[in-house]
This record gives sequence, structure tokens and C-alpha cells, in this order.
Amino acid sequence: METTPTLEDMHRLALALLAVALISLAGTPALAHFDGADRYTHTDCPASAANRVDPINVVFAGWGTWGRAESQVESHASWTAASGSTQSFGEHGSCGPLHTQRASGNGSRFHVRLRGQHPDSTLGWTALAAAHHEDVVAFPLPCGHAVDANGPAGSGFDQGRDELERRFANAGHASYRVWWGNTQSFKQCDGDYAGSDGWTVFIQLHQVNH
Amino acid sequence: MARARPTVAASLTALGLVLVGSVSAGGGQSPAASHSFDPLYNAGERVDGLPLAAVLRREDTAEFVSFIYGDCVAGDDAGCAPPAEIQIWPACRRNLGLYDDATDSGAFAEPISLRGVPAILFDDGTRLELETGRSTVVVFAGTRERVLRIAAGLRALDETVLPGLPLPKPVRKQGGDALEC
Repeated sequence: METTPTLEDMHRLALALLAVALISLAGTPALAHFDGADRYTHTDCPASAANRVDPINVVFAGWGTWGRAESQVESHASWTAASGSTQSFGEHGSCGPLHTQRASGNGSRFHVRLRGQHPDSTLGWTALAAAHHEDVVAFPLPCGHAVDANGPAGSGFDQGRDELERRFANAGHASYRVWWGNTQSFKQCDGDYAGSDGWTVFIQLHQVNH
Repeated sequence: MARARPTVAASLTALGLVLVGSVSAGGGQSPAASHSFDPLYNAGERVDGLPLAAVLRREDTAEFVSFIYGDCVAGDDAGCAPPAEIQIWPACRRNLGLYDDATDSGAFAEPISLRGVPAILFDDGTRLELETGRSTVVVFAGTRERVLRIAAGLRALDETVLPGLPLPKPVRKQGGDALEC
């Protein structure tokens, strides 16, 4: 026997649908995966091979939000200057500008650019970072900052990564290296070339800021 | 970084040949100096419309000889990516086995066979790595098509391998593991 739905039935149905929707939302994984597929920064968006600028050579993990990374770079490395040009990072199929940058000064200096990502189920909160050491070029033509060419201690990119790794290790932060192979050479404004040695360091951050 | 920018491309290639001798000689203070690139590979004095612009040598935390093709304009606080680059590494320092555990961070790797040897394309095809003999050849370029054209043009500087012909099979330890340095 067919019956016509009452107003009460309609309310029950609406509540049931609402409950299903809420359960569905609650069940949605809050953790996106870490995306380290694009292993270079870019002059702007969209990211392409032609507008690559620097290799990504540091990943802050654990509680590696970009804000905590910024705070702890300031605390452990004493890199507190915020000057520098903007660059972009590609992740999860999109592209966006850096979230922050810190440097050890305004002349010849260490310098790192950072962009945070959503948390990962294994790595936790992460931030990609491109670190380097750069000099101010005055001769033969002044051209601003140029990343150090390769030398006995590696390139300026390797030196920047090593400095952060060392400073954070001295402050008790665990780290490990992963082979990323992003060794492409980049011409600098002084005509020299610099590139990463291909190793990226993952530095664990804790929840407490300094 | 050892860097050379002579006025003619031929002299760059000549420098590359000089580097072969210095790299193979061994006996230097760096343990990497004893490695031999036998032979070195590049794509000649011009490839895909790009002239050979520089020859680089790293022998520190990385070890390779690099051939830069084409030019770009770098600015203040912003380097630039040359249109194409070929890096030759000792296979004991860099080989395809390094990626067995390293591609779980979202990096897409496409194994292929190229000129008779194993290779992998990375970064949407803008980076190719192939193993041949005791070396690993790495090609960077802006597009997959250009990368593959450059790979097709690879040749040994000692002329033992010509463009388009099969490359020597990788030399590995018994069991397939990479050689030790």
C-alpha cells in the first residue's frame, strides 16, 4: 500500500542526508601526501623547465610548517634578514609564490626561500626550501647577488644546505639526506654556473617555537 | 667550478678532451679523481640549434663533466637555466639504482630503453638519465622532445660511439649492482 510522505518523514530524510554528508566530510582524509616532484624553484608561475631558478635542497618535516621553519631558521641559524626577490614553487599540480625567506644579512650571505605544504601522513607538516650562499657581484659589472660557483665545499647551493643542516644539528634536530638528482646547472649574473650536488636534507622540526 | 668559455666551440670540445686525460690520470688528492670517464659523451659542437657554450667540471661533493648548450640571461638574485645540458657522471657515483627508494615523494619516473641501454625520464621528460659503460649520462632540456633529440645525438668524444648508434651496455658487478668507486 502506498503512502504519501508526511512533513515529519521529509524532516527525517533531510536529517539522514545531513548525517550522511557530515560523516562523509569527517571521513575525508585530512592529510595530503608530500609532493617533492618539482625539485626547483621558478621565477614565476606557471612552473616550467625554462623558468627554473634554484634547486630545492632542504625539506623541513615533522612540525615543518613554514612559520615554524622561519622561526627556527632565525633561532638556530641567526638568519633574520627578510630581503630577497620572490620565487615560486610547484606542488600538487599547481604553483604558488614563496611563503617566506630569510637570510644571514644583505651582502654576501646565506639565503633560503620556503613554501609550506599540507601535512603528510608520514612526514607530518612539511615546507620545501631552497638554500644557498651568494655573493654581491661588483666586478666587472655590478649585477647583484650571484650564487657561488662550485668549489671544494661544493656549490653555493650545497653550502647553504650544509649550513642549515649543521646549525639545526647543533640545536639537536635530527636530519637525513635523500638523493633527488636535481643537479641542473644554473647560470649566475656573474657568468659562472652553480648547481646542487643532488642531495636534499630532511630536517625534523618540533612543535615548539623559539 | 672549472669553467671554460673560449671563443670557438671547437676549443671547448678540445678542452673536453683535455679533461678526459686529467680525469683518467688519477692520483689526485680527491678520491674521485681516479675515476675514468671512458669515454666522455656530448652532442657535438651544436645540437638542436644550440651551440656548445661552456664545459664545466665538478670534483667535490658531486663529480661530473658538463656540456652546456645555448645561453640564458641571469639577473640579480636569480640565476637562469641554460636551454640544454649534458652531464657525464661515473656510474659508481650516480646510477639508476639511486632511484629505487627516491621516487616515493611524488616524482614521476618513466623507465625506457634508449639506444640499447636502460634509461629513466624524470620531471615530465625534461631530465633523462641513462647508463652506458662505466658512466651515467644525464640530459637536461626544456622539453621531452628536445631531451630525446639530444640523447639521439650523443656521441663519444673519442669517436668510438657515433650519434644514433647503440651505446655500450652498462658495466655492473655480478648480480647487477652498480660498480663501487
